[in-house]
Amino acid sequence: MEKLGGLFNPSSPEMEALAGLTYYTIAITVVILAIIVFAVFYIIVRYRKSPADKEEPYQNFGSLNLEIVWTLIPCAIVAVLFLLTCNTMKAVDPPVDGHEPDLIIIGHQWWWELRYTKSGVITANELHIPAGKYMLARVESIDVIHDFWVPELGRKIDAVPGHPNYLWIVAGQPGIYLGACAEFCGAQHANMRIRVIAESEEEFKEWEKQEIVIPPTPRSGLAGEGARLFQNKACMNCHTILGTAAAARVGPNLTHLNNRQTIGAGVLTNTPENLNKWLTNPQKYKQGSLMPNMKLSPAEVEAIVAYLEALK
Amino acid sequence: MSSRLPLVPENTEPLPSLKENQGMLTWVASVDHKQIGLMYLIITMVFFVVGGLEALLMRIQLAQPEMSFISPEVYNQLFTMHGTTMIFFVVMPFLIGVGVYMVPLMIGARDMAFPRLNALSFWLIVFGGILIYYSFLTQSGAPDMGWFAYSPLSEKPFSLNKGPTYWALGLLATGISSVASGLNNIVTILTMRTPGMSMRRIPLFVWMILVTSFLLIFVIPIIASAFAMMLLDRLLGAAFFTPAHGGSAILWQHFFWGFGHPEVYILILPAFGIISEVIPVFSRKPIFGYEFVAGSTVAIGLLSVGVWAHHMFAVGLGDVANLYFSFASMLIAIPTGVKVLNWVATMWGGKIIFATPMLFATAFIIEFVMGGLTGVAIASVPIDWVVTDSYFIVAHFHYVLYGGSMFAIFAGVYYWFPKFTGRMMSETLGKWHFWLTVIGFNMTFFVQHFLGVMGMPRRTYTYHDFPYWGSMNLISTIGAIVLAASVLVFIWNVQVSLRRGKKASNNPWHAWTLEWAASSPPAVHNFDLVPPVRGRRPLWDLAHPEQPDEPNAKVID
Amino acid sequence: MADNKMLIKFFIASESIFFLMLILAYVNFKGSVVDGPTAESSLNPYVTGIFSLFLLASSFTVWLAGRSLRAKNHTWLKVWLLVTIVLGVIFIYGQGREWAGLIEQDITISRNVFGTTFFTLTGFHGLHVCVGLIMLSILLGLALFGDFKGPRSDGVEVISIYWHFVDGVWIVVYSVIYVWAFFL
Repeated sequence: MEKLGGLFNPSSPEMEALAGLTYYTIAITVVILAIIVFAVFYIIVRYRKSPADKEEPYQNFGSLNLEIVWTLIPCAIVAVLFLLTCNTMKAVDPPVDGHEPDLIIIGHQWWWELRYTKSGVITANELHIPAGKYMLARVESIDVIHDFWVPELGRKIDAVPGHPNYLWIVAGQPGIYLGACAEFCGAQHANMRIRVIAESEEEFKEWEKQEIVIPPTPRSGLAGEGARLFQNKACMNCHTILGTAAAARVGPNLTHLNNRQTIGAGVLTNTPENLNKWLTNPQKYKQGSLMPNMKLSPAEVEAIVAYLEALK
Repeated sequence: MSSRLPLVPENTEPLPSLKENQGMLTWVASVDHKQIGLMYLIITMVFFVVGGLEALLMRIQLAQPEMSFISPEVYNQLFTMHGTTMIFFVVMPFLIGVGVYMVPLMIGARDMAFPRLNALSFWLIVFGGILIYYSFLTQSGAPDMGWFAYSPLSEKPFSLNKGPTYWALGLLATGISSVASGLNNIVTILTMRTPGMSMRRIPLFVWMILVTSFLLIFVIPIIASAFAMMLLDRLLGAAFFTPAHGGSAILWQHFFWGFGHPEVYILILPAFGIISEVIPVFSRKPIFGYEFVAGSTVAIGLLSVGVWAHHMFAVGLGDVANLYFSFASMLIAIPTGVKVLNWVATMWGGKIIFATPMLFATAFIIEFVMGGLTGVAIASVPIDWVVTDSYFIVAHFHYVLYGGSMFAIFAGVYYWFPKFTGRMMSETLGKWHFWLTVIGFNMTFFVQHFLGVMGMPRRTYTYHDFPYWGSMNLISTIGAIVLAASVLVFIWNVQVSLRRGKKASNNPWHAWTLEWAASSPPAVHNFDLVPPVRGRRPLWDLAHPEQPDEPNAKVID
Repeated sequence: MADNKMLIKFFIASESIFFLMLILAYVNFKGSVVDGPTAESSLNPYVTGIFSLFLLASSFTVWLAGRSLRAKNHTWLKVWLLVTIVLGVIFIYGQGREWAGLIEQDITISRNVFGTTFFTLTGFHGLHVCVGLIMLSILLGLALFGDFKGPRSDGVEVISIYWHFVDGVWIVVYSVIYVWAFFL
C-alpha cells in the first residue's frame, strides 16, 4: 500500500492538530449518519406496507417533547464542535504579534515567487525551510487571487492582491512536502505547484549561501553563446539572473535554476533534456502559460540550456 | 379568466397538441400556469442533459493523471458552464417551475396572481440561457472564470474574452426572472388561498416556496448589483473589484456569497417541500410536526443571510469574523437537522409504499444527511482550512445538490407526472433509474471526499500521479458514466410514459392535498368546485369524515 | 383582482436591497481614495440640494394627483401628473448638468473608486427616475385620452408608490454622498 498524502500524513504540529479535529468531527458525523441510516433501514424493513393491509396507520401529528429533545441535542453537539473549533484555531493559527516575516510568498500566474527577507534569497516554487523551525510568511499576489496550500504541513491561505495575509509554516521532520495553488487563477491553475523542502539547519544555511552567490557569466563556448542569446532574445524582459542586466520579475528568477528539482512550477522535473523541451516550446507543457513560444532553433536552445546549467 | 389575448386562440385543452393548427402558438403565448410550469420542466431537462455532458467531458479528462483529452482553456469553460447551468438553468427553474404549476392548485386558485409576469419569468430563463450559451460560438469562447467569477481574474486585464460579459448579462436576465417569480409567488400565496385555507393549513411545499420567494426577492438584488458592478468594471473601466485600480477583490466575494449562500437554500428548500409532500403520502400518515417543519424553514430563511463568509475562511478576514460565521453556520444545521428527523418520524409507524417517488425520497434522506454532515464539519474554520477548494467541497455540495435537490426533483417528477400528463410513469423503468442513480451518484462522489483530504485541489484540468489519485479518479469517472446512463433511462421513461403510460386517475397515490382533487391533467380552469378546506389535508377529511384532521375546525377561519 | 399594491410594495423592498448594495459599495470605498477626486473635492451639495428639492416636491405633487383622482377631479389629476413629470425632468436635468461638469474635469466612472461608486449610485438612481418618468407619462397620456375618472385606479396608485420610493432612495443617496461629505 503506497503512502497516502495530505491529511493522512500530517507532518507538522499544526497539521496534527488539524487532523485530530477533522477525525474527531468526522467521527461525530459518522455516528449521526449511522443513526439515521439505521433508522431508515429499520423503517424500510419494519414499516413496509403489505398489499393485503387496507387500513391506514395511526395518524400521528407530532410530539412537542420529542421536538424539544431533538432540537436540544443538536444544540449541544454544535456547542461542542464550536468549542473545539475555537481551541484548534488558536493552536494552528498563532497570531503574528508584530513578528517580521521571514519569507514573502508572492503568487503569480502561474508560479510562486519566494523572497527570503533575512538572507535576500530570491527563488521560485520550491521553498526550503529548516525543519522544526517556525517561519512566518507574508502571502501576497501580484495579479489574481491564488492560494498557498501544502496539505501535509498546515492550513491553506489565500494570496489576495491588495490584501496581504500571514501564514506560519513549519515542518516537523526533514522531507519533501508537495502542495499546490488552491484558488482558481486561470488557465494553468492546475500547474502552479509548490514544493517544500525541509532540511536540517546546516543544510538550510548551506542552501541559502549557494542561492546568494552571484555566478560569473560564462563568456566562451556553448554556455557563453547561451549567455549572449539570453540577453538578445528577450529572455531578460521577464527573468532575472543575478550578475547580468536581466532583472525583470514577470517570470521566475533563474539565477539558481540548477538548485531546483522541477521547472514550470512542477510541470517537468529539472533535467537538461526537460529544460531543452521546455525552451523549445513551453506552451506544449504548460498551455496558456505567460511564457510564449520563443521559436528558438535547436542550436539556440542547446546554448541557453548550457548557459543555465553553467550558472553555479 | 381565460387566455383572451389578441391573436391567440382561446385555450380550452390542458395539453394542446403541437400538431394542431396554432398548437405551438398556444404554448408559446400561454399565460396559463400549468403550461408555463410544464415548459419550465422541459427546458430544465434540456439544460440538465447539456450540463451533464459538460460534467461527463470533465470527468473523462480527469479519469487518469496528466491526460490531454481536453485543453486547459476548454476545461475551464466546461466547469464554469457546468456550474452555471446546473444552478441557474436546472435546479432553480425546475423548482420554480414545479411551484408555478402546483402552488395555485394546492391553494385552490385558478392561476397565479400575475399570469403574464409568470410567462415573462419563463421566457427570461430561455433568453438568458441562449445568451450565455451563444458565447460558445464566439471567437473567445464561453465564460471560463468559474461560476463564482472571482475578481480580479474575471476582470481586465486577466479576462479579456467576452464570455464573462455574456455570462453576467444572461444571469441578470435570469435574476429578473427569479425576482418576478418570487414576487408572483408571494402575492399568490398571501392573497389567493381558497376560503378555509389559513396560512397554518397550506401544504408544506407551499410554505417552502413562500420562504424561498422571500429569499429570492431579497438576495437576487445582491448578485444583480454585483453583476452590474462587474460589467461596469469590464466595459467602462470602473474600479469596483480591481485592486490595481483601488478596488477590492474581496468586496466581490462578499457580494457574491451574500447572494451565493442564501442561493443554496433557495436550491434546497423547495426540494424539502417536495419531500415533505411525498413522504407523508407514501407512508400513509400526516407529516410529523408540521409546525416545526414550517417554523424551521422560516428559521433557515432568516439565518441563511447571515452565514455567507463561511465560503471565505481562507481569505484572511480575521479571527472575529471567522468565528462568528463559523458559529452561525453550525447553528443553521439545527433547523435543517430537525426537518430530517421529522421526515424519519413521519415514516416511523407508517405503512410505506415504495413506489419510485418514495424510493427517491428515502434515498434523499440518507444522501442529504451525508452532505449536510460534511457541511457541519466544514463550518468549523480549521477543518475548512484543510479542505476548502479541494475535492472534499466538490463532494459535499454534490451530495446536497444532487443527492439532495436532484433526488427530490426526481421524486417530484414521478409523484406529479400523473397530474401533469394524465399518465403514470413506468415503475420498472423508474426502479432502473433509481438504482442506476444511487450506484452512479455515490460512485462518482464518495471517493472525492478522500481525494480532497489527500490534497487534490478543485478546478484543475489535470493532476499529478500521486498514490491512488488515478484509481480514485477513475472510479469517479466510471460513476459519472453510470450516472449518465441513469439519466438516459429517466428520459426514456418520460418519453415512453408520455405516449403509452397507464392512464392515471385524479388521485392515483390517494394523496390528500388539493391538487389531487383536480383531474389528471387538470382542466384549464383547474377546479369546477374547490373542495371545502377544514384542515391541512382536505381530501383526507373528505374521505374520513369520522376522523377529520381538525375536529374542532370552523368552516372558514 | 390581483393585489397590485402588494406587488409593488414587495418589489420596492427588493429594489431597496439593490440600492443598499450600491450604497454599501460607496461606503466601503469612502475614505480609501489615495489620489484623485473625492466627494469633498468635486461635488457641490448646494446646487444638487436645490435640484433635490424639485424631486421632493414631485412626490408632493404626485400625492396631490392621487388626491384629485380620489375626488374624481379629472382636470386636476392631469395637471398634477404633468407638474410631477416636469419636476422630475428638472431633477434629471440637474443630474445631467452635474455629471457633465464632472466629466469635463476628467472625473469619470473609471477615474478612481470615488468616480466609480458615485456615478454608479447616482446613475442607477437616475435610471429609476427615468423609468418612473416614462410610466408617469404613460399615465398622463392615458388620462388625456379620458382614463382614470376615479375614485380608484391601481395603475395610478402603484406608480405613485414607485415614485415615492424613487424619491425616498434619493434622500438616502443624497445623505450618504453629500451630507456625509460636507455636513458631518
